[in-house]
Amino acid sequence: MFINIHPEKIPELLSFNQNDPLVFSTSLFLILFFGFLLVYNLVSKYKNTRIFLLILFSIYFYYKAAGYYTGILIISAIVNYYFGKWISLTENFSKRKLFLIIALIINLGILGYFKYTNFIIQIFADISNKQIDPLAIFLPVGISFYTFKSLTYVFDVYYDTLKPTNSLRDFSLYVFYFPNILMGPIDRASVFLPQIDQEPFISKEDIGRATFLIIIGLIKKVVIADYIYSNFIDVVFGNPLRFTGVENLLAIYGYTLQIYCDFSGCIDMTIGISLLLGFKLMDNFNSPFKATSIADFWRRWHISLSKWLLDYLFKPLQFQFRSMRLFGNMLALMITFIICGLWHDAGWNFIIWGALHGFMMSFAMLIQKPKLKFYNFLKINNTKPLKFIQTIITFHLIALSFLVFREHNIQDVAYILTQVIQSFHGQVFVQFIEQLPIIFGLILIGYIFHFMPAEIDRQIQKLVSALPLVGKAILIALVIWIAVQFKSADIIKPIYFQY
Amino acid sequence: MISAELKKVILDELNLDDFDIKDETIAPEVPGWDSLNHINIIIAVEKHFNVKFKGYNVLRLKNVGDLQKLIDSSKSN
Repeated sequence: MFINIHPEKIPELLSFNQNDPLVFSTSLFLILFFGFLLVYNLVSKYKNTRIFLLILFSIYFYYKAAGYYTGILIISAIVNYYFGKWISLTENFSKRKLFLIIALIINLGILGYFKYTNFIIQIFADISNKQIDPLAIFLPVGISFYTFKSLTYVFDVYYDTLKPTNSLRDFSLYVFYFPNILMGPIDRASVFLPQIDQEPFISKEDIGRATFLIIIGLIKKVVIADYIYSNFIDVVFGNPLRFTGVENLLAIYGYTLQIYCDFSGCIDMTIGISLLLGFKLMDNFNSPFKATSIADFWRRWHISLSKWLLDYLFKPLQFQFRSMRLFGNMLALMITFIICGLWHDAGWNFIIWGALHGFMMSFAMLIQKPKLKFYNFLKINNTKPLKFIQTIITFHLIALSFLVFREHNIQDVAYILTQVIQSFHGQVFVQFIEQLPIIFGLILIGYIFHFMPAEIDRQIQKLVSALPLVGKAILIALVIWIAVQFKSADIIKPIYFQY
Repeated sequence: MISAELKKVILDELNLDDFDIKDETIAPEVPGWDSLNHINIIIAVEKHFNVKFKGYNVLRLKNVGDLQKLIDSSKSN
């Protein structure tokens, strides 16, 4: 986390390096950000300077991770701004629709080229049984996030639920805004754009919440996710047959926690950092493992993506297929979730992962009425014991699906599950706790915190808010110190960075 | 203003005895009106009022008041 500063290395440190992006948990980011924040606060009263500065820093932030592909980002902003304008100026419904379709083709065409070309080539190669070399395509980081983000603007203008902005500068800030450009949340233009005009007002509560979120985010990402990944999960999943079923099962639980802490930890930092700039971003998580069904899970996990898919994909499909009633709903679900899987990355494991979620929700919908009758017959509907059982079952289905999500080779999933079923060796559990107490402790603490009532979370947040500014600074320094103790030598890029 | 007829169609579809539905009521505020069930309410409304909606108009609905306006304009066309 801390770097030894060699003046001759500064230009190299500050220039584009795809392996060294400005991840929020790195010291380079923290130094640059606090420097930027200082200047930003000094000019906060001058709207034009403030916006200009934020755009400049955002472009630099993106350039550091994507190099010259920053050009694609700029083109994307210009294209979507003008399509929004043309759609709003057109009264003829068919022409509006045509503009929307062209905007979609351009956006999804660019995204598709960078993300799916090699996957499609591979499918053709497999079908024709020929060796076709993949093309050397660099995937511009965050492209799925900013493409979907920009599209909320085009869609909302098309549906006439958002008045388009007259400022390309403001729209560019929405697209370039550095806190959420690489990993989301996929904030709506309708919520973000009005905030640009307001002079940033950062209340005492905002600073408290920002401090809390940055601290929690750092702990989740560096202390829990990165540590259990490099010291345990990667080791077990790297060669599952060498480990017992107990270890494989703990690695499954560990990975489920890792992906949550990794992603939500980064999002916590994002929301916290954004609050310090005077922008409120949407929540992306709501204790997802407390879900009592898969549908409930999607109301709590990656909320900005699931809401995007719901509004701009599922609902139109659902309406289109409405004559098929229940089966139309199921079909819309399957298509939406297969695309949800593919949105993450091009790979069969992502397609299977999405299809699994679509199938589980469709099945739940199919048995909904008899299930409800059965629960009412037993008089257990909406009772705590039932919710407890539903939570346990949902959590295990989610954990299994994440295993598919992680493993590009489905054969490895089979190995891991075979070990869990056939070579469980329960007695190894005690040895595991004795030999890896930190790993076990971190997994346990991670889950305990997750399942804690939300009220405790709010109380801790209140306590942090009540601290004087010096106290908050000491707290952040303390957490950074703890994070340094846990940090591995290499930067572990967030999992969602690659999507 | 929400008509008693529309309110009844919604309540019947959701198996609710009563619920205070106003112009500004949004779907998640009504018990059982979730994204999966939403289409059943649209189908029930289309059937009851003998109208056929366009996707564009349904997708831009923000609240029950908008749905009432859509029914009124569809009936007058």
